Amino acid sequence: MEFSLVDQLSRLLGSSAVSTGNRYEIDGLTPEAVVRPVDRLQLSEVLRWASSEQVSILTRGGGTRSSLGNVPRTADVVLDMRAFNQLVDYQPADMTATVEAGLTLSSMQQHLARGGEFVPLESAQAERSTVGGILSVGAGGPLSHTYGLPREWLIGIGVMTTQGISTKAGGKVVKNVTGYDLNKLYTGSFGTLGVILEASFKLLPRDPRAGALMASFPTVAASIAAGRKLLDTSAAPLGLHCASSGVARWVQDSVPAASKDLGLGDEETALCLSYFSGRAKATKRRMDEATALLISEGANAVQRIEDDDARGMLRWITDVPTDINLGSNLVIKVSVRSKSAAPVSAECADITVLGQGPGQLTDPGFGSIRLFWPESKDGSTCASGEDQAVLDGIQKVRRIAHQYQGSAVVEHCPLGAKRQIDVWGDSPDSLKVMQALKKRFDPDDILNPGRFLGGI
Amino acid sequence: MDLNQLLKSLQGVVGEENVVYHSDDLLVFEYDGSVDRGLPEAVVFPSSTDEVSRVVRLARGAGVPVVGRGTGTGLSGGAIAPPGGIQIAFPRMNHILEVDTDNRMAVVEPGVINLHLDTRVRKDGLRYAPDPSSQKACSLGGNIAENSGGPHCLAYGTTTNHVLGMEVVLEDGTIVNLGSLARETVGYDLRGVFTGSEGTFGITTKIAVRLLPVPEAVRTFLGIFPDVESACTAVSAVIEHGIVPAALEMIDALTIQAVQKVGDAGYPDDAGAVLLIELEGLHDEVDEISEEVEAALWDTGATQVRTAEEAKEREQLWVGRNGALGALGSIAPNYFLVDGVVPRTQLASVLGGVAEVSKKYDIPIANVFHAGDGNLHPCLLFDERQTGALEKIMEAGTEVLQLCVDAGGTLTGEHGVGLEKKEQMPLVYSEDDMSAMLLVREAFAPANSMNPGKIFPDGTKPIPRAHPAAPGMTI
Repeated sequence: MEFSLVDQLSRLLGSSAVSTGNRYEIDGLTPEAVVRPVDRLQLSEVLRWASSEQVSILTRGGGTRSSLGNVPRTADVVLDMRAFNQLVDYQPADMTATVEAGLTLSSMQQHLARGGEFVPLESAQAERSTVGGILSVGAGGPLSHTYGLPREWLIGIGVMTTQGISTKAGGKVVKNVTGYDLNKLYTGSFGTLGVILEASFKLLPRDPRAGALMASFPTVAASIAAGRKLLDTSAAPLGLHCASSGVARWVQDSVPAASKDLGLGDEETALCLSYFSGRAKATKRRMDEATALLISEGANAVQRIEDDDARGMLRWITDVPTDINLGSNLVIKVSVRSKSAAPVSAECADITVLGQGPGQLTDPGFGSIRLFWPESKDGSTCASGEDQAVLDGIQKVRRIAHQYQGSAVVEHCPLGAKRQIDVWGDSPDSLKVMQALKKRFDPDDILNPGRFLGGI
Repeated sequence: MDLNQLLKSLQGVVGEENVVYHSDDLLVFEYDGSVDRGLPEAVVFPSSTDEVSRVVRLARGAGVPVVGRGTGTGLSGGAIAPPGGIQIAFPRMNHILEVDTDNRMAVVEPGVINLHLDTRVRKDGLRYAPDPSSQKACSLGGNIAENSGGPHCLAYGTTTNHVLGMEVVLEDGTIVNLGSLARETVGYDLRGVFTGSEGTFGITTKIAVRLLPVPEAVRTFLGIFPDVESACTAVSAVIEHGIVPAALEMIDALTIQAVQKVGDAGYPDDAGAVLLIELEGLHDEVDEISEEVEAALWDTGATQVRTAEEAKEREQLWVGRNGALGALGSIAPNYFLVDGVVPRTQLASVLGGVAEVSKKYDIPIANVFHAGDGNLHPCLLFDERQTGALEKIMEAGTEVLQLCVDAGGTLTGEHGVGLEKKEQMPLVYSEDDMSAMLLVREAFAPANSMNPGKIFPDGTKPIPRAHPAAPGMTI
């Protein structure tokens, strides 16, 4: 007689660690079970069992980015890692910290704040998203121009293999070339190579002051041109984003400090949002010079906000990828060289999906352009059966991205369309190596099967 | 295929003059900056990716292992030819292909010298941040293989933080691109795991790197301290102020004596430690932070503090540090350099342990190190002509590494494992840890024909060869 996965897992870990997967639907698939191991021993048992039974495992942290990735081939069991939520080690004077993978980013930052430090990871919904989840996705945030991606800060990692064996790479020192740098391999691997147990990071001191400038411009193109100029000066902000009019209006609704004087009611008005932090004097000088530059580059108005207001604006931009207010059906992130952000933004502005142009949030320093259809949360949603229009839109964006030697990842789209594409885009010529890695790390293909690039 | 046949085929690919195989000619390719040696069967100088690919394919067909060689400045034996193997070297692939100031990036061939790239891009107000102390001589292909660091990686990170992508040739001759020109790329971060793989995954043939703007202001501080302990306290005090300097370097008393012997760097003869701190940023922040740094230096017992902002004067402050390794030749004919790393807070106590090792083995040990990131460089000084000297040095070196590991650190911060430290890998990694690493090598190089015998313990001890301490050697 066959036992359900819930039964089998309950036998392994006890029923309190297991529940049904009804509330965890992913791309139309409902996992049979959710399991919450509380220690490495339990986790090891789950993985060994899954390997021997060929049960697919979808590792999950806070679930804030679960719409990312391809439709899974199978989705048997959700592995909830949130019980692994301890701060393992923190030495402020070493400027390093080690945490368990299930700790939320905001909890980690709270611990580090006591030592006057922070980890330069950025993630939407930091109070829910976990360190392990952030590493698995590997994405940066609004300050990527300065801080780069999580890969830059990870110095050591503990990973459990599909055979239930704990392994580590790197360590707790900030400079380390002992053995292969598997930190880089696991970061951004989307949970397809192993289960992240813990991670060590190098940290930065917290800056005493923060500030932000919100500058309105007559067009998106003008805001990007000004933004690029600003990034090339010594007054450069840590991060800078240009928002199209619909997104800009949404800023005004969401960021309390955004003033009415920015003139965001106008149809075309775009916003250039820049964020600064550092010592008081230098921050003030940067913001003074940046304000002057933005005005000379044609800003309609520049609003200056400080400290908590500025941090609030930053949080808003950080939350964009998964903001629950986002009514968009189609979200695509294009990554290109920084100079190409302007032409890509301009060319993508003409792509309509079901009669609507995209909203845009462009980072002309890092070289990323996020496109949203429909543009605002009030926009109409597209009905099913209109997948072809969505697919056409994706195709057009990809063509532009490729023309500029970049990539376009579909972060969110209707399921009907999603089933027909690889959301990560065309496979690079190194796909064979990636497939070989997957085959060796996960020979039974149980970890997040099918959700990564090229069907990995 | 026998070797003669292979040599002929290689000559067919790159031209007769670009294959070296006479044993006399090969001698200069026998060693790198480490104590290890191994004579290659041949050294090949290709001029293009296509030639590299054909060379690798021929070698693979002949069952001959291959290792890429930059300029031989490596300090762990990474570029030493595996037994029966050939080297591919890049003096002909040394072109800066593109400097893209708008996108702050450059594309280079692997044979480009680190400093040449930096010098070239400074014309445009940019710089290439990773600055291994051998940057006048080391190549970027080698930097990729070793994930090289340098004094300024405290603030800017090591090579891996500055590589956007690369073109590589795998062991079957396939050419693949890793990473991309954009800062974000899709799929596994292959350029990340390739960087620092010490030539065991493949040969880099083209590299795209990120460039950074030159800061508005740079100020260098030199603090003279009575001993290493107080200088270490100064390091902690600076960090506690929430300051991450661009560089934070230290040399100890023995090194100071050596430096003073070869040429006056302006250090008092009785100085116990010299601490160098470099700050970068806007004038305003450098000014503000300078006051705190200077106060911290005096508070922790500095007997002298010098500072400079003009490039020439700053260089003057760096002279002693940069010439330190070469100067050690004035004390002993040979040195063995250990590259252990410890958490910053453990610096003083580990250095105390190093002093005990020095006493126990009766070996003078000079310390030149990257204090900011806890990267020690104890130099064990000796004379290879004395029988048993090298064996004793290796034993003492292992003991120093054990101290680092016990303090929560690791074997190598920037020089690589190579041949030199492969038998010590089990000090930090379990069998399982190393098995996971080897899965990656299997994926890139299933036949293990690229630089085999490096990084992982296999019970084979390299034949050490003492390296003469000589002016111009750098770390």
